[in-house]
Amino acid sequence: MTTPAAELVGVSQRFGSFTAVDSIDLQIPRGRLTTLLGPSGCGKTTTLRMLAGYSAPTSGRILIDGDDATRLPPEKRNLGMVFQSYALFPHMTVADNVAYGPKMRKVPAAERRRRAGEALELVGLAHLADRKPKQLSGGQQQRVALARAIAIRPRLLLLDEPLSNLDARLRVQMRAEIRRIQSETGLTVVLVTHDQDEALEMSDEMVLMRSGKIVQSGAPRDVFPAPADRFVAEFLGYENFLTLADGRQAAVRPEHLRVLPADTSAATSADGGIVLDAVVLDVAYRGVDLLVTLEATDPAGNAVRLLADHRADTATGPTPSAGDRVRLLAPEARLAHLSADSTAAPTAPTTAPTASTAPTEGIS
Amino acid sequence: MSAVMSRTARLRHPVAGTLAVAGYVVMIVPILFVVATAFTAGSTLRFPPDGLSLRWFGEAVAYTPFMEAVVSSLQLAVLATGLALLLGVPVTLAIHRGKIPGKGLLEGLFLSPLVVPELVVGLALYQQLMIGLRLDNFTTLLLGHTALLLPYAVRVTGASLALADPALEEAARGLGASPLRAFVTVTLPMLRPGLISAGLLGFVTSFNNVPLSLLLQTRDFRTLPVTMLDYVQQSYDPMVAAASTLVLAATVVVAIVAERTVGFAKIFGGINR
Amino acid sequence: MRARSSLLLLLPGLAFLCVGFLLPAVAMLFAPPGVSFAQVLERMGAMLTDPYDLGIIWRTVRIGLIVTALCVVLGFPIASLLARSQSRWSGVLLALAIFPLLLSNVVRTFGWLVVLGSNGVIGQLLTGLGIVDEAPQLLYTELAIVLGLVQLFLPLAVITCYSAVAQVDPGLDEAARGLGASRTRAFWSVLVPLSLPGIVVAATLVFAGSVTAYTTPYLLGGSSQRMLSTQLFSYASVTVDWAAASATAIVMTVLVFLVSGISTLVGRKGATA
Repeated sequence: MTTPAAELVGVSQRFGSFTAVDSIDLQIPRGRLTTLLGPSGCGKTTTLRMLAGYSAPTSGRILIDGDDATRLPPEKRNLGMVFQSYALFPHMTVADNVAYGPKMRKVPAAERRRRAGEALELVGLAHLADRKPKQLSGGQQQRVALARAIAIRPRLLLLDEPLSNLDARLRVQMRAEIRRIQSETGLTVVLVTHDQDEALEMSDEMVLMRSGKIVQSGAPRDVFPAPADRFVAEFLGYENFLTLADGRQAAVRPEHLRVLPADTSAATSADGGIVLDAVVLDVAYRGVDLLVTLEATDPAGNAVRLLADHRADTATGPTPSAGDRVRLLAPEARLAHLSADSTAAPTAPTTAPTASTAPTEGIS
Repeated sequence: MSAVMSRTARLRHPVAGTLAVAGYVVMIVPILFVVATAFTAGSTLRFPPDGLSLRWFGEAVAYTPFMEAVVSSLQLAVLATGLALLLGVPVTLAIHRGKIPGKGLLEGLFLSPLVVPELVVGLALYQQLMIGLRLDNFTTLLLGHTALLLPYAVRVTGASLALADPALEEAARGLGASPLRAFVTVTLPMLRPGLISAGLLGFVTSFNNVPLSLLLQTRDFRTLPVTMLDYVQQSYDPMVAAASTLVLAATVVVAIVAERTVGFAKIFGGINR
Repeated sequence: MRARSSLLLLLPGLAFLCVGFLLPAVAMLFAPPGVSFAQVLERMGAMLTDPYDLGIIWRTVRIGLIVTALCVVLGFPIASLLARSQSRWSGVLLALAIFPLLLSNVVRTFGWLVVLGSNGVIGQLLTGLGIVDEAPQLLYTELAIVLGLVQLFLPLAVITCYSAVAQVDPGLDEAARGLGASRTRAFWSVLVPLSLPGIVVAATLVFAGSVTAYTTPYLLGGSSQRMLSTQLFSYASVTVDWAAASATAIVMTVLVFLVSGISTLVGRKGATA
């Protein structure tokens, strides 16, 4: 077993009485892409900044390549950081920006130029080397920031919400681009994001954070179908929460809730899924599907409001409309059982359940 | 204060921290010595002072030339500031909202009194208005001070006006307000911080002015800073220290007013752009 | 706003500006009382060849340059520490740096008489400690003028540099550090070049202020350390030599315009580079 590229041991960060990061332990596997995922104020950016050396942890240790780097200033860590704002030097050309790191390492001028060219080649911007940053589009600036971080041949590449300032199309394009660069260079990458789609699509390993703590981590394929608690489930887009007859909590995604005619026999649940009687409250047309809002009684006897995606092309039975009595089926394989000690507040999944007052998280 | 600066800064930036502390010492320490010597019981300007007393404050307040000059300077500063705002705000409106050619040139013209050395302007006014046209010195001072404060009025209120969205006034018109009503109820309130800043800045500039006022003094109407300057040059006693301490105290009051109304640092934001 | 109403708003201000500033300034150059422009030019020619007058010009320029350099060297570190500090003290320290701008120059300069005078703080300290037998002559020296002017114009340098530093994204410092630059290296390669336009403006303001200031050379330089400003006053008020006064005023104004022009060119070049 190799040493992790970086490791956080019992790391905390407190600002006065506010705890931004609460004694976390984290290993960053070498040569993989790890995402830190969570709502704003969860401590993900603070964690990244401690890893990069921009703020010292209040307690705990940070190891890079197995060596203690807790007190090492950022310029001695050799980590390539891409800032959310890109932080390109406006008074230097693109080439000078990229060559800045090698210059600080006293690399001779010719070699610096070669390395900068190489890094710009990798991000496909070699032809813009003589421009100033403000003559570039947002997407191009982002690539320059990446090239600049790569040109120092960093031990880790750290990306702080790298795609949040790009428009939707470009963002999707850049996800693939960053993955390509990661696999071509074999770099260890740590990426901070609040976008679960981004994390799912890009990560080898995803780390979910909430209120300064790690709530769940693992490969997307393992985490997504089995959220540990209600918070993770909500964050990953599970909209429907039920209490089962035995008191356990379960979550199911709208696309897995099937709307069937009211006279469908309960035998359909032979696979062990749950069948509920429900009334349709509202139907919203969304092009590819219908978003059906329903009211039902869950197995524990509580009234619950549920959402179902009803795809006209694959679903059987008549199209539901408001006021219809229907039967709902949640297949057993699609039920995510949540841990009982879930402390998530019953708020909408998109809003941060914790106070987002962390000073360093204001922009994330 | 420099202790705080040194503790926080010197540890992390040794050179910059030391320079910063030196800068603060030069800026602040002489002022502190003025205050300290004002409370002396002795009759010479020396440090440490010979005992403590308020005697020089009493003498400063009882010294008629000083008190007359305070009244004169206040009159001049208030009138010049008011006049500069009254003339300057319409100019700002014309420059920022009007449809006239050569706006840049016009603004430059109104800022030009900042560029020519004040002593030179004072010489010009003395020669041309007081000697040439035989204007009395108060009128000349008022003309000169008002012209000197016009740049502040135009630039500082202009900065406020630039922040005010012209669509607001249009919206008020659409809701039924007359042009004048729209200006008074919508635009003027948005100019308020600029007006206060320009007013305070103008008042302080006029009240403290030496170079422009220097040649425009007569026995009947003298301004305070020039009176104090002449007194210091002739006799070297702690009365001026006491008078200076009183001016300092009044300035602190102005600074507090500035902080409470528009924020201290913002007032100066407008000068250098 | 129509052109005619804009013009109406402009006219009163424009009239005042002309009477209180523009016309007298122009008239003074070309038509001092009882003197022709040719005589003014002749006097100026004499001034530029006379060793005594040249000495005063050179002293003025020299003091201006030294004060400018000191204000930048002391002011920029203060500005960058204040702009980058997260301490709650930085607001207080900023206010402390700005406050002197509100305070009378006479009061501020008077402080140096207490510090540098023959019975002053430094003299007492040196003789008291037995370092020297007799207090050295500190007042009425070039050093005294330099100290006084640095105190006067350092706040201006601080606030001008402060707004320049505050506009530089702190993320750029961090990016430079992350790429391997030490604190010092990041300061010189990122913060200084990006704040340069502000530094140039600060230097220009300080230089223009220093070569035209009157109070400081009058109180701290005395008659032995004449500068252009004190010389101008003496021509206009003591010897009443209008040709010489106008000639001095022209030299002073040209000096200020020259430096402003150069700094505008430098600024423009920096903006396009």
